[in-house]
Amino acid sequence: MSIIAIENLEKEYNTNGIVVRAVRGVDLSIEPGEFSAIAGPSGSGKTTLLNIIGGLDRPTGGVVKVGGRDLSSMTAKELSDMRLQRIGFIFQAYNLIPVLSAIENVEYVLLLQGLGKEERTRRARAILTEVGLESEMNRLPRELSGGQQQRVAVARAIVSEPDIILADEPTANLDQATGAGLLDLMKGLNNSKKITFLFSTHDPMVMERAERLIYLTDGSVMSDTKKARGKRTGRSAAAKKRAPAKKK
Amino acid sequence: MKIILSIAWRNLWRNKRRSLVVISSISLGIFAMILSMGIMNGMNRQMVENTISTSLGHIAVHRAGFQDNMKLEYNFFPSEKIIAAVEKEKRVKAYAPRIKSQCMLRSSEASRGVMIVGIDPEREKKLTKIYEYMLKDKESAFLSGPGDDAILISKSLAKRLDLLVGDKLVLMIQDREKEIVGVGMTVRGLFESPVDSFDQFVAFTGLSTLQKLTGLEKNISEINILLYNKEDVDQVKAGLLEGLADKNLEVLSWKDMAPSLVSAVKLFDTMMYIFFAIVFITVIFSIANTLIMAIMERFHEIGVMKSIGTRPNRIFSMVMMEAAGLAFVGLAAGVALGGAVTALLSVTGIDLSFYMESMRSLGTGSVIYPAIKAMDIFMAMVIVLVTTIIAALYPAVKAARIKPLDALHYI
Ligand SMILES: Nc1ncnc2c1ncn2[C@@H]1O[C@H](COP(=O)(O)OP(=O)(O)O)[C@@H](O)[C@H]1O
Ligand SMILES: [Mg+2]
Repeated sequence: MSIIAIENLEKEYNTNGIVVRAVRGVDLSIEPGEFSAIAGPSGSGKTTLLNIIGGLDRPTGGVVKVGGRDLSSMTAKELSDMRLQRIGFIFQAYNLIPVLSAIENVEYVLLLQGLGKEERTRRARAILTEVGLESEMNRLPRELSGGQQQRVAVARAIVSEPDIILADEPTANLDQATGAGLLDLMKGLNNSKKITFLFSTHDPMVMERAERLIYLTDGSVMSDTKKARGKRTGRSAAAKKRAPAKKK
Repeated sequence: MKIILSIAWRNLWRNKRRSLVVISSISLGIFAMILSMGIMNGMNRQMVENTISTSLGHIAVHRAGFQDNMKLEYNFFPSEKIIAAVEKEKRVKAYAPRIKSQCMLRSSEASRGVMIVGIDPEREKKLTKIYEYMLKDKESAFLSGPGDDAILISKSLAKRLDLLVGDKLVLMIQDREKEIVGVGMTVRGLFESPVDSFDQFVAFTGLSTLQKLTGLEKNISEINILLYNKEDVDQVKAGLLEGLADKNLEVLSWKDMAPSLVSAVKLFDTMMYIFFAIVFITVIFSIANTLIMAIMERFHEIGVMKSIGTRPNRIFSMVMMEAAGLAFVGLAAGVALGGAVTALLSVTGIDLSFYMESMRSLGTGSVIYPAIKAMDIFMAMVIVLVTTIIAALYPAVKAARIKPLDALHYI
């Protein structure tokens, strides 16, 4: 079963009588464990699509099912809980709660989930170590570089072991090398934890690393290509250790 | 939830200056409230205490009708039954018989209408503070006994009549046959009480002297009673009424005898409430304004918090806690400051005589000793907290309703 199933999705924005069709009749299904990118020029509807999948926005037409559940049948509170339990979000920038340290930001989601203190700290430490921030755990977001902040965001998205991580242009504010490092990190987590990744981008480096590339133009899917794994370069240690690919 | 609390607390200190402005306005408000409440309490208490201690006592027994007329014909004989009823009451500290009547005092310079009070000096010492108010210089002395035929007047009256201790004046009074009788009296001593009107209009002489002069024989105008505890007034009054069971007598508390005092106290209280209302409105606006600004600034991060699964009620709590944090810090500072200053002033007193001779006419005396009541401080705290909650409601609801999507655009 697809973890994300989208049928004939429509989203119109009406600003002072001017109607913008941000998403036009998109059909899309994402299988568990995918590492896919939605690419396309600015304004093509990438963010809108991700927001609708994450339940942050409601479509004007079509059906979106996440984990088999139709989002249109869910209340705001249920959507909030879905984001807490099943979806991790990573935004372009300013992902973190500024008054909380790196480790507190990561623990925050676990707290919302009601985990005990010891379990929280253990998991937050482990995940921050995994993303290479063991010595920065107690720093506040503003004391971290952009790349480090995004790593904390990844750690936070992943710590609750969601089914899906939605990342909206996660590398857009990072330099090339830092962006590549972040992507390798996400790929490694995709392999080791079997979490589905869906991110948007217009960065060629990111497109190159994605295993599936969904290309949007003016709110419609122009192309959808699955790449064979193993062609990519610059994989992380975790990625190299991964089990044989399930998909080709 | 602890994490929300600690986020709220840290948020408070992100814009230190803004938070400090709010905190200091709250603490200033509380400070002003506690101090002014203290002063008002002190003034009210002094007004009441002074009235009780100069003339009224706590309770008085009169011939029915005396209170309305204060004429000599409303007199009664202090029978054994009456005295026994008073003495039986254990809450009574002291009592004294008196005659009270209007009269005219005349010196060679001027004349004044005053209330002449015939007293038994030894009993009176225990009842009122008139003995303590006597000037302490050598010439000035108290009455020696009920039969003393000298007179005590206030320092200010002496000045008006141009009299010194040892000088003579003429007292003219209506006797029981409504004949005007006059008698020469020596000024034995001068007093000065905190109550200006008292000083202007009251003079003392011996009880028996006045009884003889007016032909009242053994009759008196009133028995004044002082209790150990002022709070017992209504109970003791009711008890005496029952014990005396005499339709010809009236038993009155100080509140009955000085209704204008009671209404003055009420007026002060009302003024206080108006002042508090102003303080609270200031607090409401400053908190609400600050929170709204803080939320606008944090629009994006509240969106992030919501998009990662923070429920609206937690965002609501966060804002409420920030408000509570502001209020608590402000309260703590204000209560500490207000309490300390008021406590200090309650010992030293605030001397208002230099700019307000009229304080004396309020009957408070010119030095005010603020009195703090724990209950008042508690009330002030509760009111500020409640006010804060009200002020925070709108911003908190607004924050809870922020749509993550709108907020995420907003950086
Ligand atoms: N909240 C909104 N209100 C009105 N129009 C919007 C809103 N969000 C996005 N749009 C419009 O929808 C289209 C798609 O935007 P978006 O999904 O942000 O594209 P992308 O993320 O690919 O740059 C754009 O034309 C954009 O102007
Ligand atoms: Mg976008």
